[in-house]
Amino acid sequence: AFGTSVGRGSTFNVQDGSDFQDRVVNSPKPVVVDFHAQWCGPCKILGPRLEKMVAKQEGKVVMAKVDIDDHTDLAIEYEVSAVPTVLAMKNGDVVDKFVGIKDEDQLEAFLKKLIGA
Amino acid sequence: GTSWGVGGTCVNVGCIPKKLMHQAALLGTALKDAQHYGWNITQPIHHTWSVMAQGVQNYVKSLNWGHRVQLQDKKVKYFNVKGSFSDPHTVRGLTKAGKETIVTADSIVIATGGRPKYPTHIAGALEHGITSDDLFWLKESPGKTLLYCVYMELFFSISLTGASPDVSLECAGFLTGIGLDTTVMMRSTPLRGFDQAQMASLVTEHMESYGTKFLKRCFPTKVEKLESNRLEVTWKNTDLGTEETDSFDTVMWAVGRAPDTKTLNLETVGVKTNSETGKIIVDASEATSVPHIYAIGDITEGRPELTPTAIAAGKLLAHRLFGQSSELMDYDNVPTTVFTPLEYGCVGLSEEAAVQCHGSDNIEVFHAYYKPLEFTVAERDATQCYMKMVCLRERGQRILGLHFIGPNAGEVIQGFALGIKCGATYPQLMKTVGIHPTCAEEVTKLHITKRSGLDATVTGC
Repeated sequence: AFGTSVGRGSTFNVQDGSDFQDRVVNSPKPVVVDFHAQWCGPCKILGPRLEKMVAKQEGKVVMAKVDIDDHTDLAIEYEVSAVPTVLAMKNGDVVDKFVGIKDEDQLEAFLKKLIGA
Repeated sequence: GTSWGVGGTCVNVGCIPKKLMHQAALLGTALKDAQHYGWNITQPIHHTWSVMAQGVQNYVKSLNWGHRVQLQDKKVKYFNVKGSFSDPHTVRGLTKAGKETIVTADSIVIATGGRPKYPTHIAGALEHGITSDDLFWLKESPGKTLLYCVYMELFFSISLTGASPDVSLECAGFLTGIGLDTTVMMRSTPLRGFDQAQMASLVTEHMESYGTKFLKRCFPTKVEKLESNRLEVTWKNTDLGTEETDSFDTVMWAVGRAPDTKTLNLETVGVKTNSETGKIIVDASEATSVPHIYAIGDITEGRPELTPTAIAAGKLLAHRLFGQSSELMDYDNVPTTVFTPLEYGCVGLSEEAAVQCHGSDNIEVFHAYYKPLEFTVAERDATQCYMKMVCLRERGQRILGLHFIGPNAGEVIQGFALGIKCGATYPQLMKTVGIHPTCAEEVTKLHITKRSGLDATVTGC
């Protein structure tokens, strides 16, 4: 219950290139971008875990989800090779990044660094 | 039919999903064997298609992505469009939405592969049947399945009609292995005396004892959908002269693959194709009748329909065009394996081809029936575990071909392919010490000739 109710609003699925421009590149708040795929097992573990930790930040950071098969051009543009790849973006720039699964503590540190810096 | 991502036939609807599903079936057999080795497995064991299919399909999709990334890394521009020639140096591409892209080039390589054929003369074939392209992508179990192929030659390399009975046998094999009611119907079987018949019949005999049903010398006349959604197939039994029917959940056509060249506009630019097969005619340098247009892979006439040869030909072509190389692709002694429940791997000449080439007096065929150690405790039938080696009688007794039926046939044959490439001889093989206990070591011990007429069954140590 905690994850879903507070999570709504802080996590969204990117619809297309211009949606990414508007809500990620031009976002006033820092954004974590979760590049994932339907066929990727680890993505299904990381996704909800990251959403939960984002929700804990009480609106200071927003999470965008990008399905790399639906948005291949975007994934290629941001040099995604393996999934899950998570980018930390501020003012349209990639300021941090990780690939693969992380635990809750590691995710919290990642998010706090993005918000704080 | 089914469409797919980057990677070609092998990745999407060929080798990769096929081998993974073959593995699923082998694991089922292993679970049955396991009890003899002390494991407590509750019988009967069940298989869930959707779990296997999702695992396989997810892996294939990850490969599609991997290829896409590699293209990007190597700075290859990728256009996801349907292409055709507008002139000898120009390709016109159309997206699904109809948007046009024009690309011009000095050199063009065609590698569009093949698509499964449908026996359109059989009523209902197109509407109600599927092909292997679709089988691997089914989300739900195919259930009781009928697979139809025309020929029963086990030969993948230079198959003039493009008939792929090995696809039907491989698919029938894993479908049987995961517990489905499976029938293979074939129109004709080879004449006696053709050596490939020996290997083919050993493989199919094993499949019969494994549970696959065979309807030999039969061909379907129509497929109709029943109210229950099942398919009723009517066929002619040419031996008995009768007409028979049965109902199935799935009917899969395995009557070969043909190149999809009609839409490429090849005639406009002068690229010649074989009128019977539709395949593109190429020379030893993979060039078509138009010097700067090349073709590689399944679409080329007279080449093996195999992934590694297509890849190797492509690499060598690139080296010749842009490197300083003049090396041509060597299509001789290409090893390959059919992944039926009991696998068949081979490299070099078949017995028949060797006889044709050199004359039966000039060749020696060594053979042996063996029993894999792992089959013993598991009380498995090894009747069809067999190998034979074809050698010249003179000129140092050079090995011309090696044929192996048994578990892990691909792994066994791979190493010997190097030996044959280097011109290995029978005396050299006899000096090669075997690894014990393996099936492969039996190759190094081959000594009984067909000519001697002696019993070729070898006993373990």
